[in-house]
Amino acid sequence: MTTPVRFAYAHPEASRAEGSLLAYLPITLRHDTHVLTVTGLLDTGSTVNVLPYPLGLQLGFVWEQQPTRVHLTGSLARLPARGVIVSGQVAAFPPVELAFAWTQSTEVPMILGQVNFFMEFDVCFFRSQAAFEVNPKGKAS
Amino acid sequence: MSLTELFPAIKMLPRADKLRLMQFLVIDLAHEEGVPLLAADAEYPIWTPLHAFEAADTLLQMLKTHQADT
Repeated sequence: MTTPVRFAYAHPEASRAEGSLLAYLPITLRHDTHVLTVTGLLDTGSTVNVLPYPLGLQLGFVWEQQPTRVHLTGSLARLPARGVIVSGQVAAFPPVELAFAWTQSTEVPMILGQVNFFMEFDVCFFRSQAAFEVNPKGKAS
Repeated sequence: MSLTELFPAIKMLPRADKLRLMQFLVIDLAHEEGVPLLAADAEYPIWTPLHAFEAADTLLQMLKTHQADT
């Protein structure tokens, strides 16, 4: 068993209103020699993880070298996406492999969704306290 | 013209016009108070890939292949 790590909800850049608080999780992504510490939006309604185009480039991915096509839905459906796998580390927990749909969108936030972020981490939301807790799967007390 | 004088005229309006009047007042008040409203002719993105089950299957298969290779 491990102790869950608690994070505060945060405002997106565009707004400071109380109603705009969202669950942004700091996470470190690694691919080959590239390391990137970013924040991802915890989105339980998203079927998959989504990696915005600029972040994929910063992680060293080359679009033309990614053979796996991924078909997204919603506003992202009109843009092509490719499947990529990176190592993701939350707080001091052991890193896990995360599969992302790398979209050509430059506007979308990094989304952490059901496949496979929520398959790797147990998350408890306390929206009334503007906080959430994260634990690796199977480690909750 | 006072509100008291307006009421009988408003009451005579057909239902559709009453709804239009309500909509007008809501938008007008929002503009006055600087509250941004969704515009009818604008497109707003929904980034969440809801029900992207094909994508989910593809990524899970990728993970399995990757883990088998390493």
